Amino acid sequence: MEVAGALRTAREMGLVACTRCTRVWPAGTGRCARCGQRLHSREPKALQRVWAFWAVGLMAYVPANLWPMLETRTLVSTQHSTIVGGAVELARHGNWGIALVILTASVAIPVGKFLAIASLALGVRHGSALPQARRQQLYEVVEYIGRWSMIDVFVVAILASLVQLGAVAQVSPGPASLFFALSVIFTMLSAQGFDSRLIWDAEPAPLAPPLPGGRPA
Amino acid sequence: MTDLPPETPVEPARRSLLQRLSIVWVIPAAALAIALGVAWNSYAERGPLLELTFQTASGIRAGETELRFRDVTVGLVESVAFTEGLDRVLVGVRLDRDVAEYVDDDAQFWAVRPEVTPQGVRGLETVLSGTFIEGIWDDTAEGFVARHAAATEPPLNREGRAGLRLRLRAAGTATFTENAPIVYRGIEVGRIGRAEVSADGATVEAEAIVFAPHDRLISSSTRFWDTSGFRFTLGPGGARLDFDSIASLVSGGITFRTEVSGGTQVVPEALFTVYPDEGAARASVFGAEAGEALTLTAIFDENVAGLAVDAPVDLGGIRVGRVAALSGIVDSARFGDDRVRLAVTLAIRPGQLGLGEAAAAGAALDYLAGRVAEGLRARLVTASILTGGLKVELVEIADAPAATLDRSAAPNPLIPTAPARIADVAATAEGLYNRINALPIEQVMDSAIAALDNIARLTGSDDIRAVPGEVRALLGEARGIVGAEETQGLPARLSATVGELETLVGRLNESDAAGRLSAAIDAAAAAAGTVESSVEGVPELVARLTAIAANAETVPLDELANRLSALMDAADRLIDTDAARALPADLSAALAELRAVLAELREGGVVENANATLASARAAADDISAAAQDLPGVLARAQAVLDEAAATIRGYDAARGVGRDLGPAIREVERAAKAVSDLARTLERNPNSILFGR
Repeated sequence: MEVAGALRTAREMGLVACTRCTRVWPAGTGRCARCGQRLHSREPKALQRVWAFWAVGLMAYVPANLWPMLETRTLVSTQHSTIVGGAVELARHGNWGIALVILTASVAIPVGKFLAIASLALGVRHGSALPQARRQQLYEVVEYIGRWSMIDVFVVAILASLVQLGAVAQVSPGPASLFFALSVIFTMLSAQGFDSRLIWDAEPAPLAPPLPGGRPA
Repeated sequence: MTDLPPETPVEPARRSLLQRLSIVWVIPAAALAIALGVAWNSYAERGPLLELTFQTASGIRAGETELRFRDVTVGLVESVAFTEGLDRVLVGVRLDRDVAEYVDDDAQFWAVRPEVTPQGVRGLETVLSGTFIEGIWDDTAEGFVARHAAATEPPLNREGRAGLRLRLRAAGTATFTENAPIVYRGIEVGRIGRAEVSADGATVEAEAIVFAPHDRLISSSTRFWDTSGFRFTLGPGGARLDFDSIASLVSGGITFRTEVSGGTQVVPEALFTVYPDEGAARASVFGAEAGEALTLTAIFDENVAGLAVDAPVDLGGIRVGRVAALSGIVDSARFGDDRVRLAVTLAIRPGQLGLGEAAAAGAALDYLAGRVAEGLRARLVTASILTGGLKVELVEIADAPAATLDRSAAPNPLIPTAPARIADVAATAEGLYNRINALPIEQVMDSAIAALDNIARLTGSDDIRAVPGEVRALLGEARGIVGAEETQGLPARLSATVGELETLVGRLNESDAAGRLSAAIDAAAAAAGTVESSVEGVPELVARLTAIAANAETVPLDELANRLSALMDAADRLIDTDAARALPADLSAALAELRAVLAELREGGVVENANATLASARAAADDISAAAQDLPGVLARAQAVLDEAAATIRGYDAARGVGRDLGPAIREVERAAKAVSDLARTLERNPNSILFGR
């Protein structure tokens, strides 16, 4: 949040807000005297949460790709298609557009999210080559895209509910769809757990006039 | 979590790992634990890998093709690969643990594909679902066996139904169609499996199963026959078209019937023969089919035409078997050249060898092996000279080189052979022909023809034919002579003449004619004396005629012809004798003249005529005398004739042939002889009565 002029954060001002009742307390106060909430300037284990949900999302993503996403039963055959397999199949039949959409939505974006979250979390800890503003943008994109990640699952659900023609044709969700949904959920949780303020915390105060009393805690 | 230098009093520098860890790590831990647990569970729960080898993997796809048992999926194909050497397809099937223990050695697997057969369409479900592998195994768990060779065809009993398994062997022209039904009174009770040529190539055998409960219909006296196709018979009962069912008409099928009661229960895998038709099947019940045939192979160096399947196999002239199959064999390693030899499969019936009805093939083999050691050999001989057909003869050859019955030969024991006797037979036949040719048939025939001609001429000649007639005519003539009124009337006329002479003499006495008269009387006496002596032979003649009559029953036929001929000649001669013919006439003429003279004398009363009259009487007496002198000759001839006739007729069967004619002839001869005899007796008793009429 690029703020023009000399803007001081609460932390710089030695204040901490209660996240439950929003009462502001001086930094270092252990508990909110009003509601009893434990006070933190920054959530102490936020990155752990990010990593934990990230790991679960990644674990779920593996079977989501290995197992079939859709089971298509027609009169003559039963077809089990995985995400990548289905896309490759479509591409082979010349449907490059749809194949590209599927690959983007189901492979590129989830993988990108994993990479983005990991790089953000790592950047907080070890510093990053990217400027903070870019990282902030990255985080916003991840946050924004997260709600659309379920589109695959929606497609499967809609197909499965629409194409129920008895013995002639039947589409049912494969086990991968469940794992894909789990993967998306945990990735979103992971992204939510990331505190974007941490991006900025690592940076020394930019050209801000030092205040008496030192830097905020 | 910040690294900013705190201005506030420092918090404890380090907290324990547990304190530093967020509680949120429980979630990935749990997820990991669940994943691991599931993975372990699925790994632990999964069944063993079944390896099936297929000829082709048509329709089998890894991850899709299922293994089913009684139409329940019990496994999934995991991999499709090749066996070592690429000769087969190795299909890995992940089997359910529950059934693994039952997949033991006797499990069978096959791929189910859609199949259209005359019996119907099968495996239709695989059209939609794709090929699947079906397995069948029994309900006893005998331990998992991983490697199985899948069958190319479904097994006979794919449903695992209870039944009796049999082996069927086609006899003659019977044929097997795979999966053809076994029908009993129109109901399908079983099924024929895959037919295959037997080891020796002689017959076709097939597996078959008769499902329970119909399997109790099968006993040892059950006969199977082929009902495939249709049979058209035209017989005394009219035309018949037989076929069992449309299905068997198209696809073939067999049926069976237990023709006689008293059969014993059969064991599984028992061998039955399938006959071409019901008649043959029924006939076999009563035929000498007892015991299994012993099959031998004989390899003949001569590869000659003429031997056919079903040709007889003879031992000592008795048919003991038949030729079951023929084939050529080329084995340069075994025989040393590339010639084609004739391999003949002989089916010997042990029952025909005299080893008893129930003699086993092994016993017959032992017996034959012993005989072979003594020189028994198989050889080809001509069964029929006309057709050139051959048969196989088991014959002991005295100087045969030593050989043994090779029991270990494959596929059948090998019986040693001897050179064929075909050439010998041909030579013999040729020699026979030559000898027949060399026979003087023409001469013999000529002679026979000549002889027959002679006989025909002889028998057909008028002479021979006329023999009975002539004999009869002869006798009739003889009778006519004897019985003629002239002859009969002779004494009366003589008497009249004598009476007239008496009156004449009385008158002559008065006149002077006594001297002449006495001379005339003397001449008459002389004549009468001659007559008397001439009739001396008459009794003998009568006796001979009696003998003739007695011997008439036993005339030998063989001498008949020439004797009759001689008789005829003699009779001819007799008849032709002028004296005999002239005798009555002469006598009559003489007496007529005498009477005329006497009449003249009486009427005229002229003495001067007396001399002439006496002279005439003397001449007449002379004539009588001459005639009487001839009479003994006639009688002698007649006697000779009758002698010959007697000899001829002796031993002749009066009831047959000439004898029938001869019977009455002889009776007439008898009568004639009697007449002659009467005449002679009259003359004998009173010779003068001719002259004096007393």
